[in-house]
Amino acid sequence: MKVNARELDPSALGVPISGAAVSTRVWGLGVRVFHWSLVAAVGVALVTGLYTSPRFLNLHLGAGAAIGGLIAFRILWGFMGPTYARFSGFPVAPSAIAADLAGFATGRRPRYLGHNPLGSLMVLALLAVLTLSVITGVVTLGGVDKQGPAAFIVSYAAGAEIQTVHRALAYGLLLMILGHLFGVAYESVRGHPKLLLTMVTGEKEVLPANDTARSARARPIGAALTLTLVLASAAGLVAAYSSHRPYGVPVDPLDGTYVKECGSCHFAYPPSLSPRSRWMALMDGLSDHFGEDASLEPDVAARIRAYLAKNSAETWDTRASHEFALANPSDPLRLTATPYWRWMHRGIPDAVFTSPQVRAKGACDACHSDAATGRFDPQAIDIPERAFR
Amino acid sequence: MKSTGRLGLGVLLASLACASGASGQSHEPVLDAYASEAKAADPAFNGFSAQRGEHLFRTHFATGKPETPSCTACHTSDPKKMGQTRAGKDIEPMAASVTPKRYTDQAKTETWFGRNCNTVLGRECTATEKGDFITFMLSQ
Repeated sequence: MKVNARELDPSALGVPISGAAVSTRVWGLGVRVFHWSLVAAVGVALVTGLYTSPRFLNLHLGAGAAIGGLIAFRILWGFMGPTYARFSGFPVAPSAIAADLAGFATGRRPRYLGHNPLGSLMVLALLAVLTLSVITGVVTLGGVDKQGPAAFIVSYAAGAEIQTVHRALAYGLLLMILGHLFGVAYESVRGHPKLLLTMVTGEKEVLPANDTARSARARPIGAALTLTLVLASAAGLVAAYSSHRPYGVPVDPLDGTYVKECGSCHFAYPPSLSPRSRWMALMDGLSDHFGEDASLEPDVAARIRAYLAKNSAETWDTRASHEFALANPSDPLRLTATPYWRWMHRGIPDAVFTSPQVRAKGACDACHSDAATGRFDPQAIDIPERAFR
Repeated sequence: MKSTGRLGLGVLLASLACASGASGQSHEPVLDAYASEAKAADPAFNGFSAQRGEHLFRTHFATGKPETPSCTACHTSDPKKMGQTRAGKDIEPMAASVTPKRYTDQAKTETWFGRNCNTVLGRECTATEKGDFITFMLSQ
């Protein structure tokens, strides 16, 4: 027979009543729903992040936002939740941690109903790493993609630096998850065969334990109101800052003369895609422009020259303005020969570029709907399906 | 410089023709300008030929840039069809019946002959060749 001792005072826990396995609700609904939602969100974020296909960026951002919201809830719940959810009850005193570690040697680790010391450390570390992941993710999105609430202030260089941290955190998180899974497996084998199940049912068998958590009642209404306030403020701030003009992104439409003269033969590449030196070299060699005579009337050429010089890559801070600056020495003037262009288009068969839908490698706008702006958002990529046939 | 002077005279004649009643969308001024230029270059000149124009359009020169041995490399062999630049942009059909605004803007016409003759033939086209070409395209 199972006795549900929902509000059992842990300090009163003694030897189980003989003949009856007493179980208690250790993990309330809040902690359990949080845990499995986090598993799902982190799973999606890791898969979409490590498998860096542009088509998954929005899913990755959604998962990141969900993680942010879940962390906010868990931190609040750590102060306003029931007994074992509260941070104050986490046995993380150095003495408790030392005793837990010493238990590995003796084979007799102290028992806890709630998180044990190492488990508590893991929970706190996970919360910290996830918080940092969300923050570095927002900074990366702002600097590298010029999107989101940080786009108005973060430079491409800073965003790229932070992206390295974001990536390192992801690998750290993977290691922590492995450690967490190993811990659960270890505990299950060592004497808690139903440990995994407790995170589903929330029930745990009552045994003599060392918990120091004070019995506390959850304050769900207070927590819900606070969480609503926090999330609404966060959403408001994100929306407000996201609407600022992104830092270093061209806003004016392309010059009419430029589009008319250059855009009649090829896609009118935004001036932000190439540094001044490359534009000037191109303008100097128009009589043999990639195998064609593209000469311009002197006055028109002068006008286009001035426009390109004024709006070249040096003037902007987009991903393309930085990454396309590095030329391919064997074909220095061709944008589609640059190492970055080739890397970003790796795996796309040549047949796609020669298909009637795309026609040429330089026809950026065949797949990038925002090509004329120079942004090249991952979300704006749509390779025509028929181009693959 | 000499040819620019001739062209200047042609433009003058063309604008006179324009002023004397021809509509803004007419290709007559362009053609007339080339005719007077051709006559100035060769007194024996006696009119343009659509047949010679077609020959120019279809000839495989291979004397210009290797990627573009003939006009048809980009314009296709059917003047009524859309062409395509090497970089993938559409080119309106060359036939005046399909693209009436062609050969009505002297400067534009001259710019494109300038570029494309160099690209395909490896030299400038003569006024006779340009006029022949336009005459052929007007017949299409």
